[in-house]
Amino acid sequence: MIEGAKWRRWIFFYIPLCAFIFTLLFPFYWMLVTAVRPDSELYRPWSAPNYAPFWTSHPTLDHITYLLQETLFSTWMLNTLLISIAATLISLFCGLLAGYALSRLKFRFAGMLGTAIFITYLVPQTLLFIPLADIIRNFRLGDTPWALILTYPTFLIPFCTWLLMGYFKAIPRELEECARIDGAARWQAMLYIIFPIAVPGILSAGIFAFTLSWNEFIYALVFLSSPAEKTVSVGVTSELIRGDVFYWGSLMAGALLGSIPVAFVYSFFVEYYVAGLTGAVKG
Amino acid sequence: MARISRRELFKLSGGGALAARAGGIASILALKQAPAYAQATTLHWLRWNDFVPTSDALLLKEIVPECEKALGIKLTIEMINGNDIQARTTSAIQSGSGPDIICALNNWPQLYPESVVDVSDVAEEIGKAQGGYYDESKVVANDGKKWLAAPWCIVGALLAYRKSWFEEVGYPTGQFPQNWEQYRAAGKLLKANGHPMGQTLGHTFGDAPTYAYPYMWSFGGKEVQADGKTVVLNSKETTESVKFMTGFWKDAYDEGGLAWDDSSNNRAFLSGTCSCTLNGASIYLEAKRKPETYVTEKGTPLWQDILHAPLPKGAAGQFGYHLPMSNMLLAYSSNQKAAKEFLRWITSKEVYQKWFDTQQGYTVGATTIWEKDKLWEKDPVMLPFRTAARAGRFPGYEGPADRHAAEVLSKYIIIDMYAKAVQGMAAEDAVNWAHGEVASVHA
Amino acid sequence: MAVSDVTTTSDTYTGSVRRWPVTRLLEDERWLALVLLVPTMVLLGLFIAYPFVKGVELSVTDAKVGVPGNFVGMQNFVGLLNDSIFRVAVWNTIVYTAVTTVFKLALGLWLALLLNRNFKGKALTRAFILLPFIIPTVLSTFAWKWMFDPTFSVINWTLFRLGIISSRINWLGDPSLALISVIIVNVWRGVPFYAISLLAGLQTINPELQDAAAIDGARPWQRFWYVTWPLLLPVTMVVVLFSVIQTFADFQLVYVLTGGGPANATQLFATYAYQIGVGTGLLSQGAAISLAMFPVLLVVVIVQLLYIRRVETL
Repeated sequence: MIEGAKWRRWIFFYIPLCAFIFTLLFPFYWMLVTAVRPDSELYRPWSAPNYAPFWTSHPTLDHITYLLQETLFSTWMLNTLLISIAATLISLFCGLLAGYALSRLKFRFAGMLGTAIFITYLVPQTLLFIPLADIIRNFRLGDTPWALILTYPTFLIPFCTWLLMGYFKAIPRELEECARIDGAARWQAMLYIIFPIAVPGILSAGIFAFTLSWNEFIYALVFLSSPAEKTVSVGVTSELIRGDVFYWGSLMAGALLGSIPVAFVYSFFVEYYVAGLTGAVKG
Repeated sequence: MARISRRELFKLSGGGALAARAGGIASILALKQAPAYAQATTLHWLRWNDFVPTSDALLLKEIVPECEKALGIKLTIEMINGNDIQARTTSAIQSGSGPDIICALNNWPQLYPESVVDVSDVAEEIGKAQGGYYDESKVVANDGKKWLAAPWCIVGALLAYRKSWFEEVGYPTGQFPQNWEQYRAAGKLLKANGHPMGQTLGHTFGDAPTYAYPYMWSFGGKEVQADGKTVVLNSKETTESVKFMTGFWKDAYDEGGLAWDDSSNNRAFLSGTCSCTLNGASIYLEAKRKPETYVTEKGTPLWQDILHAPLPKGAAGQFGYHLPMSNMLLAYSSNQKAAKEFLRWITSKEVYQKWFDTQQGYTVGATTIWEKDKLWEKDPVMLPFRTAARAGRFPGYEGPADRHAAEVLSKYIIIDMYAKAVQGMAAEDAVNWAHGEVASVHA
Repeated sequence: MAVSDVTTTSDTYTGSVRRWPVTRLLEDERWLALVLLVPTMVLLGLFIAYPFVKGVELSVTDAKVGVPGNFVGMQNFVGLLNDSIFRVAVWNTIVYTAVTTVFKLALGLWLALLLNRNFKGKALTRAFILLPFIIPTVLSTFAWKWMFDPTFSVINWTLFRLGIISSRINWLGDPSLALISVIIVNVWRGVPFYAISLLAGLQTINPELQDAAAIDGARPWQRFWYVTWPLLLPVTMVVVLFSVIQTFADFQLVYVLTGGGPANATQLFATYAYQIGVGTGLLSQGAAISLAMFPVLLVVVIVQLLYIRRVETL
């Protein structure tokens, strides 16, 4: 892609990319080193002569075993996974339909509705959780995954809708019109022509929605109470921070185990997302 | 264990609980149904997760089954991070559903007086049986007319210091600087030796206020007069304390402390970069728990080099602010009678004793009887904690520990007054700013 | 769920001339739009409308936790004008949002352009780049907290070893550095999101356009500026818009990293609102602080929305 001499590729591509990767991933390396570091090495100040921040000389699995055996970590992972998937699917479904309607159909108040959906996103969560608790109680959703599955879409739908509106607008109208001339109903054109083209957009909206559900904290804290119902971020902070004693090793292990598997899953999606794209543009 | 619980069963559940339970069983038999837990009284108790994991294990593994045996109550204990309890409390009260009992820190009961059940009967009974409550426990849980919560315990906050390093600067074992001038002088020498003192002035709910308030009081500064309305923060005494602090901070303290949270001083002390810091007993107990992990620069176990002392004296006296906890019974609870029964049971001498023992002195009881417990004979290093709560005051002094006091506390105004001065603001300006803020809270 | 019924029952039916009444109805754009919008409206109506109205209601009363309170008009908002901590929080929030957004956009775009190339391990890199965004904020912030810790900071150690500093940097303790530290963490967390969203945008741009421009002799940056950038703008605007709102209302990061300290140097709208509303139980004032960000945000949003419209109609 970059024309010219080899050094240009290094200067403009490899070096910056490596710098990005290093900066973005260094904290994860740090977590890994911390997670396997015995406490005696953990509590060594940076001015100490034998301080070796980048390496652990006597790695231990104690912190990880503690996390997996003494806490309900695997249950929390499962809860978080189910809740995030459900909330993402709901949000994508709503956002896809609403995004299509708002961007490609002509009707009165379209602009206003779009803005209205948008404005709901402005409502601050730190305030919202208090009256929201009322609704959760009235619907008897407290301490069930549904409390989160239904409330997460409130901040996911606006984004999904708007992001998808952007993608839909970029798709030429002629494609749809061709299908309609061939006899397809309007909804068929939407379902079979437009939606497949928007797959990259849908995927990035999905990744976004899933990720936000994955690391949401305050609703999960307030709406769930049984230890076995909790999500990763709430569970880990309630078990591994005891007053002013932090279980650093296990906390970091929890952070790693709670994010790296997701990245692996994403790596398949991202592949598909690029493939889907080339297909869409070239096809 | 079984023997004790059976005895308690007879002693405690003579009245309502046993009868209710028998009635429950009778009705189940009559209906020829399998006993269902749904029919038993359930209670949900929300607390913080304890510094001492064995205390939490005791509650979950022993107290829960014993409670069911003794009172016929199926108890659910939920433990969350102390910082997050208020978010839960707020949404529970606003939506009228949630835990039946919440273990509150500080003076939180004063924030929710309309939403809690008057527990005077329980609190008075326990207080009478156990030698009376400490002032601090009373001031946070009693609004002057009734008890808003049943006092549970007090987490002592004392200075943990390195015996050997204080010896190097002229304080042989058993001696410790008595007043702030001596303390500062010792700190200056310690810092010169590369062992600064450590203290947070950040936004933390534990170590920063438990240091800043007693420091101010010992100089004679206070927020308000006894009427709880007249703000008198801007006084000669307060300004004096702020002035002293600015030099003191540079002389003696690790200047990174401005950013510390409640766990930072534990880390700094355990890693041997800090000679003295105000904390609960967690540093010492953690060092003792893992003697091989935490060692001094000479290679000896660190815990053998740790001692505790109260904050030094000032012109106006010597004070402490220890973290009180009390159990609120929420008004929306549909099991109030059972909940009171439970509070009476869990704070009774026999049951509380078990929990108290697991705490190893980390917390002292809310009542004075626990000073006499044999636990204190076990470890002389923990001895200063035994009576620490006697010198305790609560923010808002000399007024009541009410909502205003809590607002000043949760806005970190007093702490920020010192933090601003340490960062270079003139002492008078810092005090003026804080006075204005406190006044607007009380307006 | 009327909508799903419609879609599923109609799935079996593919393009024939005969049309069912429902399908005929759906040929009308207005009816189709209505049907498509129903699920969103129901969900948002149920879970946002009531709490929002309730929040507005709270802000004009003197309600406390457990006490409904009386109507006091704009008193809470007037009170905020004289609140020095509130003013600090407003200023911090604006600086925080502005600075992080500029950096996130610039770095995110750069990274997206780099990732838009073909290289070995592309998929894995693209996915792992997202890690800072995936990891629960609370947990990653704890890791950063340790990396910034005055006694243990690995950053300080590295800089010291490299001979760049001679004494330690008080990352979170110094008031201006504390805000910078918070900004660094936010940028670290936000760049991957920008990069991946913009990458998706870049992918929809037909490479032939680039090739055509290259044949016409346009230099790389000219191609970017005249071909790529205008096409990328709509997606960019939406991403920026949402990120600005999120950053403006950011809570977790500061709550964990500094609690708003030292001396309110990192106090933001949301953390202050939480401190007052939840920490002190003054719900009405907390609501007022939360809502005070509403008009500010609204202005930002309207400006951006107008801009998006203009860009799109061009």
